[in-house]
Amino acid sequence: MPLLEVRNLSVTIPTPEGDVHAVRAINLEIEKGEIHGVIGESGCGKTMTGMTLLGLAPKGARIVADSLHFDGEDLSKNAERLRGRRIGLISQDPAAALNPVLSIARQMDDVLRAHRNMSRQARRAEASSLLAATGLPDPQRVLKSYPHQLSGGMQQRVVIAQALATGADFLIADEPTTALDVSVGAQVLALLRKLVSDRGLTVLMITHDMDVIAEACDRVTVLYAGLSVEVGPVGEILQQPGHPYTQALLAALPDAAPHGARLAAIEGSIPPPRSGIEGCAFAPRCPKAMPVCARQVPPKRLAEAHRWLCHLPASAP
Amino acid sequence: MNSTAILEVRDLVIRYRARGLFAPRSRPAVNGASFTLAERETLGIVGESGSGKTSLLRAILRLIPVESGSVRLEGQDWLALKGDTLRLTRQRIGVVAQNPYLSLSPRLTIAEILSEPLLAQGERGGPAMRKKIAALLSDCGLPADFMERRARELSGGQAQRVAIARALALEPKLMILDEPTSALDVSVQAQILNLLADLKESRGLSMLFVTHNLKVVAHLSDSLLVMRRGDIVEFGATEQVVREPRHDYTRELLSFGLIGARE
Repeated sequence: MPLLEVRNLSVTIPTPEGDVHAVRAINLEIEKGEIHGVIGESGCGKTMTGMTLLGLAPKGARIVADSLHFDGEDLSKNAERLRGRRIGLISQDPAAALNPVLSIARQMDDVLRAHRNMSRQARRAEASSLLAATGLPDPQRVLKSYPHQLSGGMQQRVVIAQALATGADFLIADEPTTALDVSVGAQVLALLRKLVSDRGLTVLMITHDMDVIAEACDRVTVLYAGLSVEVGPVGEILQQPGHPYTQALLAALPDAAPHGARLAAIEGSIPPPRSGIEGCAFAPRCPKAMPVCARQVPPKRLAEAHRWLCHLPASAP
Repeated sequence: MNSTAILEVRDLVIRYRARGLFAPRSRPAVNGASFTLAERETLGIVGESGSGKTSLLRAILRLIPVESGSVRLEGQDWLALKGDTLRLTRQRIGVVAQNPYLSLSPRLTIAEILSEPLLAQGERGGPAMRKKIAALLSDCGLPADFMERRARELSGGQAQRVAIARALALEPKLMILDEPTSALDVSVQAQILNLLADLKESRGLSMLFVTHNLKVVAHLSDSLLVMRRGDIVEFGATEQVVREPRHDYTRELLSFGLIGARE
């Protein structure tokens, strides 16, 4: 059984102007010990999915799912209890996640005191060893520092150490490297990989960046307009994407085109979050769309270890 | 590679003053930068935070003083210009910033935003100006009925197109682009990069493209400049830098993500 199982999740936010379909139908299956990427563009529902798993969806949101289970527990009831015990969050902006007026020692201690039953001395040793585990070279100095005295990369390592301090074994990393320089981001991703293999963590990596997926993830789920449209091992999806949206996303990258050539931009825009969707959500922008695409929900296609939703048969990539 | 240089930077040193009267002199933010940008070419400037790329840009825009060195714009000593001559010469440079929602006033309509540079240079408002603005919008791939909208009603890609249209309003020869696609989604980034390539072609623009994303700029630039801690560690034709990077840092940037994983 997967560690996290999400089947047919929808999150609808009622507003005076009508319902906003932030998440329409998302499926996620995350095995213990993997880094599972969730990739999609603005408005595809990736952050809302993460927030829902943490029990942090906005008040009044209607959350409906066939299954929403973490390690056998029903997240629709227990998300708040699991958050900070089993499930931790690493957010995009470490500077905003840390309190600017408290020392790192105090902030680490607050977390340890709330979650672990330890003596003061043991907490101090644990804080130092957690910071060391995130690759910070001089934990004692870091403990005495305030957030503004640390670089962005160091701050993000402190945030990761805090997540570990809760004892969480499942981390939701929401764009953890977007605010960092490329080379620093690469180090943070390498750290997450190391923690996954050393400590048996599982990571849900939310990102809009295909490079992050390629660099750090084992499997990836591609989201479009609040729907999961493709899932599979990263290597396969990068080499032979099945869904036309995944294909278009990869083709739009500067890496994909010869130097100076025009890039394959995706024309049009995502369906408005307030409207319903008939047939395939990507059909209006899809270069391979057929009449049936606008009318019927696409069937599941399979090739090797990955699956996607499309009317086109699997043999015509 | 041909023709004359539009921008020539020689031994440029930028240093921020250290605090305190007797404090030792601080390390320069830009440590003797020299490079040229040929007409109708694009130069990519890559570096991480603190590498000096923003200081370099600001000095070229004459927003901060330089300690020593020279900048020549179309052969003219750009750092020596003053007063009205400076104001008029500034028209030759257009600027696009990273976040269009911050660089476009939320209170003004798109028409007002685009007319501002024209009015500031003494053009008269009226139907002729509206026509000009509509043409600018259409050059940037936006319909004329956007004129009455405000920035917050636009998507990120549309807003960035407006910012590009504004930068083009005074028909500059040099465009300075500071992380113009970093706040955008991949599919929109592709649209904006295509637009910039088209504009460069149709208007004969030269571009300085600053970014931390080496792969974006390697795609569209003719030459590349990599900065690290104030030093230029790499400067040359893009294809050569990508093929044979001289510095470990450049190699690290090139190997991150997709390309590295594919090989």
